[in-house]
Amino acid sequence: MKGLLKVFEAIRPSFEQGGKLRVFKPVFEALDEAFFAPSATTVTAPHVRDPLDVKRFMAMVVIALFPCVLAAFYFFGLRFAVMILVSYAAGGAVEVVFAMVRKENINEGFLVTGMLFPLILPPTLPLWMVGLGVAFGVFIGKELFGGTGRNVFNPALVGRCFLALAYPAKMSASWLGPGNGLTGRLFEYAGASAVDSLSSATPLAMAKQGQFIGLREMFLGNISGSAGETSAIAIILGGVFLLLTRVASWRTVASILGSFVLLAGALHYAQPGTFGPVLWHLCAGGLLFGAFFMATDPVTSPITNTGKWFYGIIIGSVTVLIRNFTGYVEGVTFAILLGNIVAPILDEIVVGVRIRRLRSEG
Amino acid sequence: MRFRGGYNILLEGKPERQIAVMPEPDALYLPLRSRRFVFSELYVKDGERVNGGDILAKDPDNYAVPLLAPRAGRVQLKEKEGHIVLEEVAKLQERADMAEEELEHIEREMGAGGIKRYKLLALGAWQFFYDAYTGALPDPLGTPQAIIVSTVSLEPFVARGDAQLHKRLLNFTRGLEQLQSLLEYQPIYLVMPDIESEFANLVRNHIRGYAWVKMLEIPLTYPYDDFAILARKLGLKRSDGSVWAVRAEGVLATDRALTLTKPCTVRIISIGGTGVNSPTHVKVMPGYPMKDIRDKYVSEPAARLINGGILTGELLGAETLGVDAECRGLTILPELQERELFGFARPGWDRSCYAVCFLSSLRGKFRERFTTAMRGEGRPCISCNFCEEVCPAGIMPHLIHKYLYRDLIEEADEARVDLCVECGLCSYVCPSKIDLRKQLIDAKVLIEQEKEEIRQEQLRQEEARKQSVEEKSE
Ligand code: SF4
Ligand code: SF4
Repeated sequence: MKGLLKVFEAIRPSFEQGGKLRVFKPVFEALDEAFFAPSATTVTAPHVRDPLDVKRFMAMVVIALFPCVLAAFYFFGLRFAVMILVSYAAGGAVEVVFAMVRKENINEGFLVTGMLFPLILPPTLPLWMVGLGVAFGVFIGKELFGGTGRNVFNPALVGRCFLALAYPAKMSASWLGPGNGLTGRLFEYAGASAVDSLSSATPLAMAKQGQFIGLREMFLGNISGSAGETSAIAIILGGVFLLLTRVASWRTVASILGSFVLLAGALHYAQPGTFGPVLWHLCAGGLLFGAFFMATDPVTSPITNTGKWFYGIIIGSVTVLIRNFTGYVEGVTFAILLGNIVAPILDEIVVGVRIRRLRSEG
Repeated sequence: MRFRGGYNILLEGKPERQIAVMPEPDALYLPLRSRRFVFSELYVKDGERVNGGDILAKDPDNYAVPLLAPRAGRVQLKEKEGHIVLEEVAKLQERADMAEEELEHIEREMGAGGIKRYKLLALGAWQFFYDAYTGALPDPLGTPQAIIVSTVSLEPFVARGDAQLHKRLLNFTRGLEQLQSLLEYQPIYLVMPDIESEFANLVRNHIRGYAWVKMLEIPLTYPYDDFAILARKLGLKRSDGSVWAVRAEGVLATDRALTLTKPCTVRIISIGGTGVNSPTHVKVMPGYPMKDIRDKYVSEPAARLINGGILTGELLGAETLGVDAECRGLTILPELQERELFGFARPGWDRSCYAVCFLSSLRGKFRERFTTAMRGEGRPCISCNFCEEVCPAGIMPHLIHKYLYRDLIEEADEARVDLCVECGLCSYVCPSKIDLRKQLIDAKVLIEQEKEEIRQEQLRQEEARKQSVEEKSE
């Protein structure tokens, strides 16, 4: 690998100021830094630094998504791999173009967005929509705000929200019955033309008609739904990993799920006929996925710990309300986007209180 | 206040407790600068012969704290820039006592209490004292509201209290008594790692009946030994007067200066870090040639020499030739040599991380071989909140960083950037590799300057008003 490093060093000058390829400097740097740890050293105290960097931080999320990705392959087939590729390509392209225009580094955030996005889409959605959605999400949801770290909304959710509003028919009809047996759909490529795509309504949609799918299926994931959101067990596996590595905040997850359980429980207790049981609701739709992977995005959630509690409570309760009292079957996307909007406000309130308290210190 | 934040970085190369004695040097190179002092007022001439304990220079901005000659020798001023060089160094002729008539004169001037303070200053013990809030040198003639004595030094690596106090318990308790004699009724807080330990019991037996000493146990988490943190923890308000703070070596120096009336010119410093072959404590005097230390202890060819600990120490350039007057330890860190392949994607069995993001988390505690590597690219803040979690001062480094980014100095002041104790943990944990500590320190300096300017301006206006009133009355 010494050779590769030499190659990098040899071509570096052409990307520097005055070099022929200087517009592509961000691309070169991203590649260089992806292969080799940066050569920068500390200048001032502290003279040593923690090994964690943003790359690793983001990579942890991708690793945590592994169980969901595997589940998506199993239940919905190889087409999902193509969706991932399209998502990364389109999202990455937007990111790279913006980095070149701004002459800044390519940020690692799109590694996560590109992976999250196909997981929250119906499995047979046309590929061009996947590309369009992620591009829209990265562009409007992130780049317009100034890139990773400055965005208000979760880019993947912005993309999905856009698709849901622009192509409601496709977004609510591109479902696919899940694979079964030893290999599931692992060796199938089930596209938009698959026979059963229209006949497989999601559990939440069926529940609106009073049909509740069994809890066991919901837990394992052999139900219809967004590619990565069906298998509760896979999500919990990855989610717990994320909590243990402290990349996701347990406060956010706990408050979302806690408030959701309390409110949904109260509704079910009051009118068991109209409102589904709590555990069922917990496993249905994108709630778990949203709670573990979407709402915990550090950039778009409140930074203060107290803020995180309120943020979670808002998301959890709004989800229950949308699901049970509006025409929408699923409310997590909107709830989290709403949470993203209020996150800075929550932070401001908490910070204000803390600063007032700090005033009397020392 | 309860302790919060804090984190122990486990760096390879922890110094042993025993103290090695370095061979007597032929020449001493005394730097004219140290962390707090600039000895700009010279008291010796080129070529002059001095005795051990003579005053070579003073710092006029810090209550004229002196730089003492650790040994007898001949002064060379021009040879090395920024240093006083002592040649033909001999151990003999240490000045045993201060001139009798001088002392009498001072006693007439300042009284019995004054003479002790004068001795502390003139014999080099005063430079071991700190103002707990600011870290600056306190006024030797002032009276504090309390003294904090700490036997704990947690930063990797500075000289530890247990090494300093080894076999010198008697001197320590005698020093405590001497400290008390400077006070009227104010308390002395003795900070220890474990107040049930054998050592603590020994101390307790010695100071039985000293009602003015109060023991305080603190957990061994960096930087709970920081004086500002301790003062806040003890509920000592800044508005109630200054708080003096000394470490074990300061108490020992007090004992030496006041009980024996001898100059304090020997320091015990630590030599540790990843680049040292046998980490230890050594007994040296200020001015001890850096080269000798380097030759004996540094094993890495390309290593960074740090004056102080890994988190707050300052880079020691090649231009510094000797140990300075305030040195507490040298940390030696190998420079980053080669770029690691797929650095961020490695399982990471060998690196210890604040978050649990590497495989090494399964391994339990271990000391890591650090280098000077930044270990990541600078990025915008991702709001992970690690810096706030780890901050012992209870402020929000990320918030202040964002304020400073937008030039909102006043807001940064409101967010109490002044409470920052400069421990460096926020910079250490930040995955976006933001130099938070430096930014916060710069902001503190800036805010101080601005406040000082406003104060001066107010004074001027006050003067002007008084004058105009006087003119009118005339
Ligand atoms: S803000 Fe200051 S006190 Fe807090 S962690 Fe950073 S350097 Fe330490
Ligand atoms: S540690 Fe760094 S990235 Fe994390 S919140 Fe603090 S400043 Fe931001």
